[in-house]
Order: sequence, then structure tokens, then C-alpha cells
Amino acid sequence: MAVKEVTTYRVVGKGIRRLDAADKVRGQAQYADDLHVPDAWHGVVVRSPVAHGRLRGLQRSPDFDWTQVVVVTPEDIPGHNIVDMMGRDMPFIAYDEIQYCGEPLALVAAPTRQLARTAVAHITPDIETLTPLLTLDEMVTQYKTNPPVLHELSAKQIRKGQGAAALADADIVLEREYTAGHQEQLYIEPQGMIAIPEKDGTLFIIGSMQCPYYINPELCETLDIPPERLRVKQAAVGGAFGGKEEFPTLLAGYCALLALKAKRPVKIIYDRNQDILYTTKRHPAWSRYKVGLNKDGTLHAVQCEFLLDGGAYTTLSPVVLYRGILHAAMGYRCPHVAIDGHVYRTNTFPNGAFRGFGAPQALWAWESMMDELADAVGLPPHTFRLKQALQQGDTTPTGGLLRDSVGSPAVLEQTLARSGFADKWSRCSLGRAEDKAWYGIGCSFFAHGAGFTGDGEARIKAKVALDLEPATDGQPIVNVRVSSTEMGQGTCTILPQVAAEALSIDIAHTGFPMPDTFKVPDSGPTVASRTAMVVGHTVFQAGRKLKQQLEERVAALLFEGQPVELRENEFHGKYDAQTVPFMKGAAAVLAADGPLRVYDQFKLPAYIKWNQDTFEGDAYPAYSWGCNVAEVWVDPLTLEIKCHKITAYYDIGRVLNPVLALGQLEGGLIQALGYALMEKITIKDGKYDADRMQTYVVPTMLDGPEMDIHFLEYPYADVEPGAKGVGEIPMDGLAPALANAIARATGIRLRDLPLTPEALLKHGGFAAPAQTA
Amino acid sequence: MNKVTRNWMINGTPHRVETPPLRRLLDVLREDLRLTGTKEGCGEGECGACTVMVDDEVVLACLLPAGQVPDGAEITTVEGLEKTPGGRLLQEAYAEKGAAQCGICIPGMIVSSYALLRRGPLQAPDAIRTAHAGNICRCTGYKKIIAAVEWAAERWPETVTPTE
Repeated sequence: MAVKEVTTYRVVGKGIRRLDAADKVRGQAQYADDLHVPDAWHGVVVRSPVAHGRLRGLQRSPDFDWTQVVVVTPEDIPGHNIVDMMGRDMPFIAYDEIQYCGEPLALVAAPTRQLARTAVAHITPDIETLTPLLTLDEMVTQYKTNPPVLHELSAKQIRKGQGAAALADADIVLEREYTAGHQEQLYIEPQGMIAIPEKDGTLFIIGSMQCPYYINPELCETLDIPPERLRVKQAAVGGAFGGKEEFPTLLAGYCALLALKAKRPVKIIYDRNQDILYTTKRHPAWSRYKVGLNKDGTLHAVQCEFLLDGGAYTTLSPVVLYRGILHAAMGYRCPHVAIDGHVYRTNTFPNGAFRGFGAPQALWAWESMMDELADAVGLPPHTFRLKQALQQGDTTPTGGLLRDSVGSPAVLEQTLARSGFADKWSRCSLGRAEDKAWYGIGCSFFAHGAGFTGDGEARIKAKVALDLEPATDGQPIVNVRVSSTEMGQGTCTILPQVAAEALSIDIAHTGFPMPDTFKVPDSGPTVASRTAMVVGHTVFQAGRKLKQQLEERVAALLFEGQPVELRENEFHGKYDAQTVPFMKGAAAVLAADGPLRVYDQFKLPAYIKWNQDTFEGDAYPAYSWGCNVAEVWVDPLTLEIKCHKITAYYDIGRVLNPVLALGQLEGGLIQALGYALMEKITIKDGKYDADRMQTYVVPTMLDGPEMDIHFLEYPYADVEPGAKGVGEIPMDGLAPALANAIARATGIRLRDLPLTPEALLKHGGFAAPAQTA
Repeated sequence: MNKVTRNWMINGTPHRVETPPLRRLLDVLREDLRLTGTKEGCGEGECGACTVMVDDEVVLACLLPAGQVPDGAEITTVEGLEKTPGGRLLQEAYAEKGAAQCGICIPGMIVSSYALLRRGPLQAPDAIRTAHAGNICRCTGYKKIIAAVEWAAERWPETVTPTE
């Protein structure tokens, strides 16, 4: 594919300040709830009080004046009452069987939120209750005893070599089970959306979202509106982490249905309690491994069953499952692999996208298992990993060849060396009674597929545009026009950096307007660690095209036809010393031709082969690699677990902006720390018990450990400038590294996330066992 | 409905506010005065996104009834920081160090920083962490925010301490 033309970069690789920094530090960024929409009514959802049931009807109290409000029920839906995601099983508004507590039964809009809530209080649903299946534990019990009872939402398998049959030839076979619970994204800006019916018949949706091109087309069928009449624009997004990937389609739908009936703008801003109760979470997961080892400690066969609690409907669960099973035996050489993945329904809010997308759950189990396997064969965990870490030329569990840009085993070796792992590992407490504090160290090693899973990039064919146009001050600017969104991770800066690099201009001459489906082509959703690699590459290609076109026009307009090169912000004539500043040349082109737009489209390298049916081949175009070492102190009296240091190396390919990339890793690691040690949800009466920030506890500034984070750059040669993904990989490895550290500190192996003092107590924490359980 | 009248100095500008006494200060700022820089993240005093200063105290605008803010009070929100040398220094520090990612916690976070630094040189080694413990950030992992506050503390303009 692309041949490297540039070896040294002017703009890429620099810690350039975010283009949105000034607005954000001044409190000027406009988030959904900050937008002033005159005459907007407030929407509220009427929700099911039961987790499973059959709706017989809705009674509206005659004591309320219904002329003041607008009520939407399924009969008011212009098109099909369906949310079209990976499955077509979810209605926008329930009309028969109710599948989760809080499922919408009707929508209400009123001039004030208070009046809308009062109206909702005057609606009483008549529901025949049915028995719900609520928890991962219940689901796993059914899976083991009576699987036909379960409602399967998705399934997929991976087979390599002789699969599970090869376990018979292994010298040692170890079987273990692990679970992981829900995790809430807890972006600090709750979900918010506004639908505005325009005079020309267009419906304008603006709000907090990751993926404008999910809402259009997903709403078109429901609203019975052609795509060209549905305009979707992103407002500033106050954090997302996957939580604003697919969910905003629902909120946009609620607003849109109400706005169309009320014939006026309708706004819904969730409060925190609603946001936790009625939006997506990370899927709870159960893994059971049977792993066969040879006497020398090499992996012989891996059998894995990987189950996800999908919640009530399919939504995006199949792809979460795919990413999960593709990472469930990744990272190490193993000739025989059998992985069976299933997503089953529970009667809870549909679980969905969350940074890592199935990989953190899979790697939590797999990297815990690696330590248990090392124990079983009598090797230290680092020796065991180094022995069989994948290298260039090896194949993945799906038979994909690791061709280039393989940061393994370098990231593993470097992290172990920098943290002094081997020495510290030999001096851990193991729950010794005489120790006043128990010390432990643990590691994890992992890859994360960059870009869409499987055939995703080939199907989406990301499209981007660059516009040379006048800015608000009339001066020329090159605007990056993509549907990839800024949600804190830095898209609004790295993509202009890449464009500026390709054009050889200053980043000051580039811009990143908020994505608006009436103005940007579909570069795909902002997910899957794909923006820097896939969209970045496509922006670079478009930048090269625009550069060439500008050079030709400036040659004709200002250089009397002499060939011209745009280099370091100036147009240079080939035959004389004449130069013209970029802005002057660009202004001349604008004056002569008007705004100029170039497009480009992503194409996967031809050698990438993938079979979506058999799950064989190159599951991802490239992988990022990482290694985490976690060090903990555990208090023998209180069993309090304190992680005081994390050492990590990452290969994310070319680092486009080291400040932003480090920000992703630091922030992601602290989110992973919460997942591992603090964030816990259980279900009571069909509802999440931790339903507010008082009870759903996330790390504060006082909880952060020392973080020693480094990059090892193995640029991905098929894309320019060679980035892979950084967004998700920080979620992947910390939980198992911590469980491995806690096992070395206490002698207790915890196999359920989160890892809490209560769990240590349950496993005999105060008894100070002498060996690993 | 009964209303109270208050004369407040908000970000250096006098404002006369009529409001039901139990209305949250947050709603008066955001809805009545359209000072939308101050954010609502949880509505129950846990996240700190609505942190503002009333006189010299850091308060959570989602918990404070407007009627409890006395006549003559000086209120500082994120929008007021750029009117002060210390506030501008902090804005520069946050931008330079990459302390803002999604940015939604920053209006509250940076007001906490401002309230801390204007009290004078940092004394305790964990003064920064303690002063921001009530401001939740889900993006950054806090490291770059701490770096920004340290950077600003080293450069804090002496002439504006303790009150600007």
C-alpha cells in the first residue's frame, strides 16, 4: 500500500496543544446542556417498574390536564418501532413483552421538566409480571445446568490446530473460572440531546455523541424520514468512553419522536441517577479456561468458554463478543486453540460499548490464568511469559500472521527490566504472618487489535474530506471534515496535525469544525482504537491530494506555470528562489476558484484476509502492544488494597502527539484501576444498586498511584504516519496485573472483579494462608 | 412563589438577582444568568463539576440554595478567572500541560486550583491532591492536572496573593 515518503515529521510527534484547550479552560465549550434553544420543551421517559413482564396497557389519570403536554406511545411512531443495530430485536417503546426495568413505555414532553415529571407520575402501567433472569451468576448457573433455558443473542467460535482435542496430549491441564462485573462509563457530562424540527422539514439533532452517523441512518426507519432530511451534529462531549457510542440513538429517538409530535424543539438531559440506571454498561463476563501445558512450560492447547451478559437486547453485543474472543488467547504462541463465545440475555439494560469492548474482560481472565499456569508448571510468571510471547512471524489464534510493527516481546522485556520485576517478585509477602504490610508485584502482557474487528474496515471504507475555505475571519483555513468526534481523547488535534504534516503547513492553518452530517462524509464511528490509524491515514492521503492540487493552482496563478512545491508553509518555485507564503497562495486559489474540497477513502491492504464465518485470518490490520506491572501494599489488618506504582510500556505505533497519547494512557489506567479495585454494581429488585455517584465510587486525585509510562514505537507501515491505536489498550491489562500482585502479596488468588477487601476476607484473608490458593 | 433579592458581585460585575430562596445557586448561574461554564455532573455534591467560589470559600453550586448566599457576596466562576492574573496563569498551565481532555470537569477543577493557590505558597506535600479530592475527572488520571497546578504554583504572581 502506501510507501513511506516522509521520514522526519514537522508536526506529527509534537506535543502540540489541543485546539480546543482555550475554550475548555475558559468554560466556553458548548456542551448539550449549555445550548440555548428557545421554546424547547423537556422530555421525560415513562419507564417500566419491572424487569420482565407483559404490558397490558397504560392508564392516564383523569386528574391531570393532558392538554399541557405531549405523550408519545408506539402508535405515534411514524415508521417501525424498532432500533436497528446489530439485531432488530429492540423496540423504541415497549408494546408487549418488557425485557428490563426502566424500559420505555411512553414518552412525555412539557414546557418544564417538572411538569413533564408530574405528567409521568399520572401514568400507571398495567403489567403482568414474569420471572426475570437478572445476573451473570444466574446466567452462568443456567449455562452449566440447563443451557436451553437461556436466550442467546450472539455466538461465535475460534478454532486453531486440533482445538480442544489437543488437551488430551498435554502434560499438565489446568482449569479455572473468572468473572467480571458491570462497569459504568461515568463520563462527567450526563447524556443529553436536543431535537429541533426545522421549517424546511429537516429534523436537526444536536447533542452529546460519539457517532453522528449511527443516529443517521438508525433513526430514519423509525421516523420514516429520508437520510437527507435528518441532520445530526455533535455538541462538545464531556467524556464518552463508549457510553455515547450506541446509546445516543435511543435518546435522539426519544427527543425526535416528541419533537415531531409537539412540533417544537425537545431536549432531554439525563440527571446522574437516570444516566447510571438507564444507559449502557460494560458487559459482565464469565470465562472458563482449560489449558494444556507441555512439561517445559510451553502452551500446548487452550480451550476457553467466554460468556457475556448482554442485557435485554442485542444492540452491539456481537461485536463486543468478537473482540472479546479474539483477545481471549492472544499474546502467546499456542498451536491448538478452541474458543466458544456466547452472549445471553438478562433482564437488565442492554450492555454496550465501553473502552476496550470485550477485550478487558477477556484479558482479565487470560492474564490471570497465565500466572496460575506459570505456578502450575513451577516457573516465575515473567519467565513463563517471555518463553512464549508472540513475535514477528508468529500467528495469532485465528491464524493471522504478525507481519510487521510487532512491539512484542520488546514491551514485555522493557517493562520487566524497568520495574525490577524479577527481583521484587522473589521478595513478595505471600501473606506472611510476621509482615506488618503485605507487598506484592504482578504483571500482565497483552495486544489490542487496532481498527474494527474482522471485516469492519473493509465494509465501512472510511471517507474523509479536507476543505480549503475561508475561516470566520475571511482568511484561508484547511478544515478536516470527518465524522470522527472529539470526546476528550484528542481527535480535534491529531487529525489537524496529520493534515498539516501532509500539506507541509503549520497547524495554525488547519481547523476541526464540530462534525455535522450535512457537512462531513462518513469516516466511521469514533470507536475501536481506529481514529488515529484508519482515519489518520485517510486524512494524510487527502492532505497529499490537496497539496498537489494547491501546488498546481498556485503554479498557474502566481508562478506563471513554473512547477511549485508546498514545503514548510511556503510555495517554492522549482527554477528560481521565489517563494509565496502558504496563506497568500491559498488566498489566491480561494479568490480564483472558491472553496476547494478533496476526498479520500480508506482501503485495507490487499494482503489482509479475513473470513467472518470461520473467524480465520487477519482479525485486525495491526495490534498495539502493552505490558503493565502493578505493585501493591495490602494491610493485613484491614485487607485494604493500595496500588502504589504502575510501570508500563506501550507500542501504539507512531505517537502522533505524545502529550495527548500519554493523557490517554494515564487516564485509561486510572479508569482501569477503578474497574479492578473499586467500581462495583450489584442488582437489587431488578435495578442497579450503585445508582448515583455516592454509591458508584470512582478514583479521585487521592487514589492515583505513581505511573511510570513509556512508549516503544513500532510504526505500522501500511498507514501514514504509522499510528496504531491508543484509546482502549490502557483498559486491558491492569486488573489482571493487580490480581497477580495481590496473589503475591496475600497468597490469595481472586478470580472475580472487582478485587476488594471483602473478597479477600471471604477467601480467608485474616487467616494468612501460606501458599497460593 | 416567595422570592428573595440578592445583590452579588459575580466575576467582578454587580448582579441583582431575584430568586426563590431554595433555588440552587447552580440554576441561578446557569439558567437565570446564562453563565453555563459551571457544570452539573451529579447534582449531589460528589463530582465537583459545579465548584465555584463564594467570597473566599470553595462551594458546590448544586448543593447551595441561593437564599443562603448573602447579599454582597463575591462569586467567582470559571468565567471570571480570566479577569485575574492568577486565573489566566492557571488557564495557561492547564492548556500547556494537557490537563483538559473532555473538559467537562475543568470549570470546577480550575476553580479549586485557583482557590488553593491564592491562599499562598503550598505547605503540605499533598496539598494539591487534597484540595482537588472533591473534583472527579474521568479522563486524565489527574497526573497532568497536578502537573498544571504545580507549574502555576511555581509562577504564581506574588502581587496577587492572597487576594487579587
